[in-house]
Amino acid sequence: MLMCRDLAGIASDYIDGELGTTQKLSVKMHLMMCKDCRSFIGNLRASTDLMRAHSSGKPDPELIRRIDERVAEALQTRDSHDSKNE
Amino acid sequence: MKTAELEGHEEALITGLQAGNEADFQQAVRLYTPGMLAVARFYLDHANAEEVVQDCWVSVIGAIQKFEGRSGLKTWLHRIVANRCKNKLRSNKKEVATDFSATLDPELADRFNASGRWAVPPKLQFHDSADALMENDALSDCLDKHLSFLPETQRSALMLYEAHQHKSEDVCNILDVSTSNLRVLLHRARQRIFLMVETFQETGEC
Repeated sequence: MLMCRDLAGIASDYIDGELGTTQKLSVKMHLMMCKDCRSFIGNLRASTDLMRAHSSGKPDPELIRRIDERVAEALQTRDSHDSKNE
Repeated sequence: MKTAELEGHEEALITGLQAGNEADFQQAVRLYTPGMLAVARFYLDHANAEEVVQDCWVSVIGAIQKFEGRSGLKTWLHRIVANRCKNKLRSNKKEVATDFSATLDPELADRFNASGRWAVPPKLQFHDSADALMENDALSDCLDKHLSFLPETQRSALMLYEAHQHKSEDVCNILDVSTSNLRVLLHRARQRIFLMVETFQETGEC
């Protein structure tokens, strides 16, 4: 029988739909009877949504400036090399 | 943006990059650098990761001519970064050390009794959407802090899978990990975030 501890170990696999049919069924049966595990799955899902909303996709402005400079320089070098070869 | 719109936007961007248009490079740099950095941080420390990402962008100027669109631009860029990182590790004869053995976070594992039932059940209450919660600056700062405390391997896996929305298969290829190890990384990272949000909601402290 699946215990709460076992379910907590495979909760992400359940959320992502990565469990096989038998395991998924065991989780669903357990969730029907266990309020705490329902709450845990809900919490883990909500935390993941929060992380996705936060997503920390903010690039570091200093790094971006350095990349822009290097790309501009490389593009210029390539263009001047191309025009010499024409 | 809808998928077709996104695809059209990416196609136009690729054409601009192939033409060597500086403005298109600037746009792509802003769009893809965070993900490229997440890949690089899986393998390298902060300074080396930034260096590899910068070098990659310079190499993209030439390499983009051969881009055939078999994968999306994002996946292609992430693979370039991963290959460079792996070469750098090989030349330094280093390996990424990761513990894939334990699925449960030790702090969470302690919350079960001997019979495997919850001794300290989850206490989180979510009344608002994730977007509404993120308007709370203190929570947002706290998330930043805890994301930075995650082991690099867990954070990179989480960022690529959740924030940059790669498929599992792509994340495994880019980070060179098996599917089962990726599952462990993702689950460990999510548990840390859950524990952090729970403490924050309960105590108001980060």
